[in-house]
Formats: sequence, structure tokens, C-alpha cells
Amino acid sequence: MTRREWLALVAAAPLLRGASPIFEEVPPSASGITWVHDNAKSPEHFLPEALGPGVAFLDYDNDGWMDLYLVNSGPSDFFHPKRPIRNALYKNNRDGTFTDVTEKAGVPGGTFGMGAAVGDYDNDGWPDLFVTAYGNCTLYRNNRDGSFTDVTKKAGLETPGWTTSAVWFDYDNDGRLDLFVCSFVDYGAAVMRSCGENQLGKRFYCIPRFFKPTASFLYHNNGDGTFSPARAGTDIATSLGKGLGVVATDVNNDGRMDLFVSNDTVQNFLYLNRGKTFEEASLPAEVAFSAGGQPRSGMGVDAADVFNSGWQDLFVANVDQEMFSLYRNQKNESFRDVAHDNEVAQATRLLSGWGLKFFDYDNDGAVDLILANGHPDDMIENYSPTVKYAEPLLLFHQESGKLRNVSAGAGPAFTRSYSARGLAVGDLRNEGRLDVLIGVNGGPPVLLRNESGAGNHWLGLKLEGVKCNRDAVGARIRWSAAGVVRTRLKNGGGSYLSSHDPREILGIGKAERIDWVEITWPKPGATVQRIQNPPIDRYLTIREG
Amino acid sequence: MPALGRRRAFLSLLLALPLFAQDDLLRQAVTLHQSGNIPAAIPVYEKYLAAHPDSAMALSNLGAAYAHVGRYDDAIVQCRRALKLQPANPPVQMNLGLAFYKTGQIDDAAATFDKVHRAAPAELQPILLLGDCWLNMGANKKVIDLLTPVAAQRPDDLAIAYMLGTALIRDDQPTRGQPFVDRILRNGDSAEARLLLGTTKLQAGDNPAALADLAKAVELNPRLPHAQSYYGQALLRTGDPAHAAEAFRKALAGNPYDFTANLQLAIILREQEQMDEAREFLRRALRVRPDDILVRFQLAAIELHDGKLETARRDLESIAKQAPTYTEAHITLATVYYRLQRKADGDREREIVRKLTAEKQAKQAQGLNVK
Repeated sequence: MTRREWLALVAAAPLLRGASPIFEEVPPSASGITWVHDNAKSPEHFLPEALGPGVAFLDYDNDGWMDLYLVNSGPSDFFHPKRPIRNALYKNNRDGTFTDVTEKAGVPGGTFGMGAAVGDYDNDGWPDLFVTAYGNCTLYRNNRDGSFTDVTKKAGLETPGWTTSAVWFDYDNDGRLDLFVCSFVDYGAAVMRSCGENQLGKRFYCIPRFFKPTASFLYHNNGDGTFSPARAGTDIATSLGKGLGVVATDVNNDGRMDLFVSNDTVQNFLYLNRGKTFEEASLPAEVAFSAGGQPRSGMGVDAADVFNSGWQDLFVANVDQEMFSLYRNQKNESFRDVAHDNEVAQATRLLSGWGLKFFDYDNDGAVDLILANGHPDDMIENYSPTVKYAEPLLLFHQESGKLRNVSAGAGPAFTRSYSARGLAVGDLRNEGRLDVLIGVNGGPPVLLRNESGAGNHWLGLKLEGVKCNRDAVGARIRWSAAGVVRTRLKNGGGSYLSSHDPREILGIGKAERIDWVEITWPKPGATVQRIQNPPIDRYLTIREG
Repeated sequence: MPALGRRRAFLSLLLALPLFAQDDLLRQAVTLHQSGNIPAAIPVYEKYLAAHPDSAMALSNLGAAYAHVGRYDDAIVQCRRALKLQPANPPVQMNLGLAFYKTGQIDDAAATFDKVHRAAPAELQPILLLGDCWLNMGANKKVIDLLTPVAAQRPDDLAIAYMLGTALIRDDQPTRGQPFVDRILRNGDSAEARLLLGTTKLQAGDNPAALADLAKAVELNPRLPHAQSYYGQALLRTGDPAHAAEAFRKALAGNPYDFTANLQLAIILREQEQMDEAREFLRRALRVRPDDILVRFQLAAIELHDGKLETARRDLESIAKQAPTYTEAHITLATVYYRLQRKADGDREREIVRKLTAEKQAKQAQGLNVK
């Protein structure tokens, strides 16, 4: 190839990418997913109507194929549905279609559901399901036979109030998954609250600024199927917030899982796990407020080693005009917002972000990003000509160490607008490509099939903890391919109200082999396990040894 | 705007000062000046003044000539020298005030126009200029006190009605402002009327309606002072910072010292990390309101971004001392302390932030209706 030909090819690259969509939307007629979210929309505009739904990937029957769980609203003190409303569990038929098995599995919900967090809290190798809600939460224990049992009360997890995102993680490294549950605002109970009428003379969704903040919940797993409240004595108990998103990660590489919590209209929280307590350190870490010193409307969050530095970076999505933040880890328990350098600030000025995920969608080894957006106020277009209620999805691809907005060429779904909320990623076809599921407020979910990464190689890992928690949340993965060493931390949670495929897919681009993979298992085992020349383009189960 | 037209007329009057010079050089300079050949007059004045440095008239005229060609800083020097020789010379004071005004030193301009006004209370021009300065400085109550008696004496003067109506609306007195708005509206749809209506609605929080009126105002007269600036604010409040920035730039093309346009454009630019340009607009805003807390805070935030931690610390400590309930300043100061490894100071600021936030939240929660 001559230099001229090569340059011509490079110049044409964006066009080539545009011609072949990165993600293809799978319609309900093709997937069989006919479930639709009912947001319970009313003239009164009760705020919980605007916040759901969450979505989850889980292999509930352990057949090796990811199934899907979708959370719906339901009866509450302000909503009395005339027809039954339920959550939905869809079994993966392994052919691109799904079958609704909700009734058989016994996971219909029953409260005004918000989100889902999947985790194997009893270390039996079967995923359990925690559902947050406006009203009481629900813990579904997996019966290992395709069904679940509601064990909320027995487990001591009847969490009151209005809970949103939740995350399973092992904060005390005892080998069992504990639970953190975001609490939103003090709402409802004996009285319904309203902010009056807007300029159109109508009730509207109150800005959460008007509601009192609350403390989130931390539960310790007792190892006998029960949990104990554990926030007392930590900053979690005294930090009053309006939590919407949470990710469990290790921001200071000390082997203990920390928590980053996004709050709506008040500062975000960064709970550093100091071993015996959690210290709230968001202000010194510079992730609490905007660069102008103002609290924002934090919603979705995630963490990943975006820049391959060996340290976890953070992300938080906010409401329109506030721009989203990408916080680069400074390796000293502080961060700098680099959203502008990565085209994120510019792209999100007019958007309100909820579900989101760092993931390597094309398996080139570098971390990319997807954002699901939608304005919470269904009347916003009456007051703001540039801000829309339904908003587009955004996709960022990492190129030369920077995220670049590639939404325009990402596929038809990226030219449409949605009232998107939860977002989760998972490999529905076991082909090593992460698909995307998006919960839409008051509508059917959006399923995006990943069509990218042709020619790129990968290795999928299913980590199985033995001494550590069975899901191996907190495990550190390093791998070497074509002279490049990359790292990944198996974080807990991330996104908004949603739960992802627990397997890790390691992209290696055009490399034909992986030199080695190294797993540092979480405590209490903390062993380091290295596999030389593992097979590629397939899934591998690694058991803590 | 009528007020501006009168301002220009006053400057012309200064050029027709009676001339008592006996010196040919000075006569030549004045002749050139009066014929409109100001660039040629300037070196002749300068030459004359080299030989006669105490000629108040030559200094005053040279100041006016400098002002005419846009050399306002030089004009200020000459006017000040003239006033040292003749402290009670209203025309020179007017020239000095105008030069201050043109260079964005609005508080100095206001002080100078105030002196002229006190010396000649019946003169309308100093009143209008003083009122305009105070409006720029946000001293709405002073404008109201100044213009209320004048408006009673001159009910048909639209310039007075416009300025007083603007001050009343900005001072959150829409009921008192409404008659002046009506007075403008009686003269038909005009940019001035739309601006007043738009400002009223903006003040009341009806941003979409304000946007419509202000869009019409700039359509009818894009050069109407303050119209672009308010249009920019309405665009900003309705979620359109890109067009808001355009409007602010247009406002600044008409009046480089429009305080709000400078500040708001700087904030937009800072958010876009265009720090150098933002800093310039903030410095200009600071010339209009030298002690403005918001402007100083924005500058401090840029210093923090640029890593000038000690400068940021000094500025933020001063701001926090001056405005102890300014939460953003405490947050940013805490950040600076933490970056400087001054944990105890950072923690102290953080505690202040916690208290201020709790107080604010309690107030916000009280604003709820309970059904």
C-alpha cells in the first residue's frame, strides 16, 4: 500500500464506521420482550413516577446464558393500578429471543419498583436479586431451580423509604457480599408533597432540592442469610444525601472497596473504606461539587481504569446545563475533572444522564463509554427551547488515550431519542461482545445488539471466588497481549438502578494471543493466580485457587 | 436610547468652549479641533502644553481631543491635570467622567458625574449619565432616588421613564415600575418597551415569556443598550448557552463594559475551559464593579484551575471573609487548602460548608406545599 492509499483509507475511516452500525436495535418483535414500563404518570406528578426503571443482566438458571430482569412501578401510597403491574424476568432462549418466566420464577415485585442489584450473597453459585423501590425493598433468594423466594423480612432487609441504586460488595473482606442501598429523599409517608404549579398552571415533578435529604443504608452480611445494619459509626450514617447512583470500587488501591455515590441537588459522596469505618472524603477528593463549587444533580455513576493507569477513574452524569464529569484519578485520593478534554462536557451540556457504563465495546483493549439520557421533567420543552424530554444516547470510543464522541456513527438507535433511565451491559450471545439494555420511563426497553469489534480478539472470564466472595467483586485482573499490560478491577454496581453481566471480557484487539492473565483475588484469600497463554475468543471459568 | 443621544450632545458642547487664548499655537490647535480635524489638533496642543504646562484650557481641550480619538486613558490624565488647576470646572469634570465611563471605570465615572450633578442639579445630562452609571453598578435604589423627582417634573421624558422603570424592575418593585413601562408602551411597540417587559418577566422568573420579549427587543433594535445582555440572560436561563454567548458578545461589541455580559460570558467560557478569554472578560467586569464578589470568585476559580494555589487562596480567603455565607467560596477555598496539604484549614472550611448547606436545605424544604 502506498502512503497515498494509506492516507485515503485513514480519511475514509469515519465513513466506513458510519456505514456499519456499532449497535443495532433489536425490536420487541424480534426479541420477544413485550414488557413495557408503566411509570404511573398522573396529573399530580408524583416524583417517583419520573425515576424508573432499572434493568439487570443475570444468569438466573445458571445455564451459561445471560437472562434479563426489568423493574416496574407498582402499588404505593399514591398509585393504585387498575390492572396488575409487575416486573419481568426474561429467559434467554439462546437464539436471540427471550421468554417471560416471571411468574414461574416468582419475581414479580409488588411495590413501586426502582432498580435491581444482582449478587450471590449466600455464595452458593446462584445469583440472588435485590429490588429497590419507593416502599419496601425485596430480596429474592435464588432457589437453584429456576425460582426465587422472597426472603426480605427474614434477611432483615425491609429497607424503608425511597431507595434507588444498590450494590453488592464485600466491604470487610470476610468473603461475603454486603449491601449498600442508596436512599433518595424523604418523600410521601403520611403526606404527599407537591411544589405547586408551574408556569403552565400544572403540577410538575418537583426538583429534589425541595425534599429533605436522607442517609443511605449499609448492611453487613452475617453469613447465615441475615444482614445487620452497619452504617452506624461511619460517615454513611451522618452524610445526608439524595442518592441515585452508586459504584463500589477501590480508588486508592488499598484492597478495600470504597463507594462513590451520586446525589441529586446536593454534593456527591466518596466513602473511603478505612477498614473499620467509612470516611466521607468527596470534597478533598474534588468529586463533590462542580468546578464552580456548586452541587449538581448527580444521577448515574461508574468507575473504571479508563486511562490504563492502574487506578480507578470515576464518572457522574448530571442534569442539563451542569455537564457530566469524568474524574481522573490523581493517585492520591483526589481527582481532576477531565470531561472537557474527552468531549464529554461538550456533548452533555443539554442532556440529563442516568444509566451509563464504561466498557470496551469493540474489544480493542481500551475503555469506552455509553450514556443513556432523558430529562426528568416531561414539560421541560415548554420552558426551555433547547432541552428535550426525550434525549439521544451517547457513545464514546477511546482513541489515543482520549474519549471521542462517536454517537453519530453508532447506529440508528443513536439518532433517536428516549426517556432513558437504567442501563446495563452484558453478552447475550456469548460471542464476547457486550450488548446493552436500556430501561425507558413509561415505555418498552431498548435492546442494543453489539455489532462492533469484528476481527478483534477477546477472552471472557467468569471468576469464581472460594475464600473471597463467590462473585469475586473486588478482584483485580491484569493481562498482557502484544506487549501491552492492562488492568481491570471487578467493580460492584455502576450505572443507575441497574446490574451488569458479572463476567469480564478482556479485549486484546488484533493480538492473536494473550501472554498471561493474572488474577489478584480479594481478601480474605488475596492470592495471586496467573494463567499463561490462556485460550482466546471464548469464556473461561477461573476458580480461586 | 434617548439618554445616549443626549450624552453625545453634551460632548459636542465641550468643544465649543469660549476661547481666550492669545497664543497662535493654541489658536491653531483650537481651530483644527473645532473644524473636526482632531488628529491634527492633538500634536499642536501637545506642543503648546510643552511650553505652557499650566494652561487649564489647553489641558482640558487636549483631554477632549484624546477622548474623541479613543485615547481615554490619556484623556483622563489631561483632565485630571486640568482639574488640579481649576477644581470647579464642570465641563472638564464631564469630560473626565465620560473618559472614565468609556474605559469601564464606572464607579469613578459615577463619582465624577455626581460632583457635576451636585454643582448643577438642574442639568439633565449629568443626571442621565449618573443614573446610567448607577444602573451599571447595580445601584438601583440610588437611581430610583435620583430619578423619581425628575420623572415627576418631566412626565413626558421617555428617557427618564425608561431608566427609572428599569431601576424599579431590577429592584424588584414591579408595581412601581409598571406605570413607567406603560408610559413607554403608549408610544407603540418599541425595543425599549420590549426590553422593559422582558426584564420584568425575567425578574419574575417567567423565562420563556421574557425570552420572547427580549428576542423582539433585539430584533427591533440590536444596539439598544442592555438589550443583548438581557437577551443573553434569558437564553441562558432557558438552557441555550451557545446563543447566550453570542448575545453577550454582541452586547459587549456595543458596550465593552456591560457588567453582566462580561460576567456571564466569562462563566460560559470558564465552563468551556477557555480560561484566558474568560479571565479577560472578568477583568473588564471588575473595572465596572471593582469589588464584585461574583467576579472575584470566578477569577479565583480560574486561578485554581491554573494551579496558582497561593493566589487563589489569598483571593478566596478575602472573598470568604467579606461574604461569610458564600458557600461556593468556602467549597473552593477548602479545595485549595487540601491541595496545599493544609488539611486542618480544609476541614474547617468543609465544616462551614456543611453548616451552610444544612441551613440552605432546611429553608428549601420549608418551601414545599403539603397536600
